[in-house]
Amino acid sequence: MTLLELPSARDESWRWSDLSSLPAIAGRQPAGTVPEALPWIDCGGEGPRLLFVDGKLAAEQSNLGSVELGTVTADPADHALARLVGSDGWKLRLGRDHAPTGLVQIVHVSTGGADHLPSEIELDVDAQASVVETYMGDGWINRLAHIRLLKGARLMLSRRVIGEGGYVSLSDRASVGEGASITVTTLAAGRADTRLDGRVVLAGEAAFAEVGGALLASGKQRHDANLVIRHEQRSGMSRQVWRSVADDAAICSVAARVEVARAAQKTDGEQSLKGLLLNRGATINAKPELEIFADDVKCAHGATVGELDRNALFYLASRGVPRDEAKALLTQAFVADAIDRIGEAAVREAFHQDAMAWLGASS
Amino acid sequence: MLQIKNLHAEVDGKQILNGLTLSVGAGEIHAIMGPNGAGKSTLGYVLGGRPGYEVTEGSVRFLSVRHAGLDPASTFSSGGGEERWTPDQVRGDEDGEWIDLLEMEPDERAAAGIFLGFQYPVEIPGVSNVQFLRTAINAQRRARGEAELSAGDFLRMARAQGEALGVSMDMLKRPVNVGFSGGEKKRNEMVQMGLIDPRLAVLDETDSGLDIDALRVVGDGINRIMRKADKAVLLITHYQRLLDTVEPDHVHVLAGGRIVRSGGPELAHELEREGYGAIAG
Repeated sequence: MTLLELPSARDESWRWSDLSSLPAIAGRQPAGTVPEALPWIDCGGEGPRLLFVDGKLAAEQSNLGSVELGTVTADPADHALARLVGSDGWKLRLGRDHAPTGLVQIVHVSTGGADHLPSEIELDVDAQASVVETYMGDGWINRLAHIRLLKGARLMLSRRVIGEGGYVSLSDRASVGEGASITVTTLAAGRADTRLDGRVVLAGEAAFAEVGGALLASGKQRHDANLVIRHEQRSGMSRQVWRSVADDAAICSVAARVEVARAAQKTDGEQSLKGLLLNRGATINAKPELEIFADDVKCAHGATVGELDRNALFYLASRGVPRDEAKALLTQAFVADAIDRIGEAAVREAFHQDAMAWLGASS
Repeated sequence: MLQIKNLHAEVDGKQILNGLTLSVGAGEIHAIMGPNGAGKSTLGYVLGGRPGYEVTEGSVRFLSVRHAGLDPASTFSSGGGEERWTPDQVRGDEDGEWIDLLEMEPDERAAAGIFLGFQYPVEIPGVSNVQFLRTAINAQRRARGEAELSAGDFLRMARAQGEALGVSMDMLKRPVNVGFSGGEKKRNEMVQMGLIDPRLAVLDETDSGLDIDALRVVGDGINRIMRKADKAVLLITHYQRLLDTVEPDHVHVLAGGRIVRSGGPELAHELEREGYGAIAG
């Protein structure tokens, strides 16, 4: 086994991450036991379903459909964790105007130890796909996704981290062509620490990107999201909507940057980073950044951190709602903004249920 | 139904209620009137159990069972034989069994049958009225050991209450009080009261922010929902005008944190004519 080289907190882009648990997790032996119930989402029409256990495809429980396994195009050398993923992974490549038969569902289970897996999603002109990835278990799941959307293509990528422990690190590199759109929504509602890195380049005119999610943390958990949306061409639109909830001594951090190149006139960018502290011992870091080189752009950003509204808590109590239930209801309302971005009702509902389960468990 | 004795309460260390004594029987509507700063809203919040409103002396007993004609066994136990009220909360005396309100959490008071109508109903972005009310009603039903309402039954009830008060289903699907006008918020309070169907309603300045028509709609709502032999209302108000629609059986003047005068409906007219100065001193 090679020595794990990890960045330190002195590195600006890693200062809110705590990677100190990774060597120990990576040294553990995977148990290999797959949970009996897997969280497949039932939404009519059977689409591809892939189950990866410790980074390896469980073929008998998978239905590849339009997904292939093989060598993945990826160049993650500049990222401390993504560079570990290697080159063999899964690929979703769709031709012009194509779409899979249904939702593409991928469940990643880690039974201990570290597993690394790259993926590639490439949608040709006007192709579209909706992909849901679920991360569970208690080891270290490390992923890199290379995404390329050509003109008019549409991708909806929804992810949920619902494992009972360990670490999940996800890196995305996306390029969005003319008039194409990408929506990435991530829900962290388990016990794992997470590190999310995303770099989305709006490479064509009038491209659209929405990157957001809800990070829920309790105990000594840490979630750390680092996102960059870069506008390279004119008339692009981007949205970053993040909702963080931290209880106990947990830490949620979101650093979100919008870059607007000189050619990207008429850019419309918006960032909304909101945090909710359920305990005075918890921490929320929100760092919105704008870097603008064009002169005719509209970029709005807002970052707030607060506590639950005491008036609302008493109002609910005066109607008979016990305190813990009132807290859960208000917290759910707080994160709903981010989850409601998901297009398919069944997926949205499943994510809301996961958030509610976390709220029920933490109160 | 409600017995308040020598109630003293303070907010932020400042004494607001100063020996308030008041008794409300089943089937009665009491109006509490008084000048600004008399302690009217504080009385409402103390009865509702709002954090920060500290009772320093006195007692509040709720729902004398004998008076309300209710069977203590079915009212005060959860059905499984387990007592829900702790011994501190339930005591017996010559009036029968009663609840020490001040020992209870706000949500427990609601489940026991108290409804607090807010002067300024709170806006809750992201939570629809329907979700809010269904959560509230089912929480109360659970606390009383009753079965929860199905979604269908609840929606039928909500629609009926909404229609009676001019609140459309469309409004009920919107977030709680967000973007509602002052009058809509008050009507929404009455929809909540109608659905929750409490034993005692403590309505704090329910008439503020209402025009003449809305005043009548809200007043009619109070009569329809609460004018019953086994219910009672404590109507806290600054002005006489709501009392034209909701006729009180008793009127009390609150000043300096205590009741300084009590009388029949005619007292409200006297106050309107002569002002608080003459009566409250």
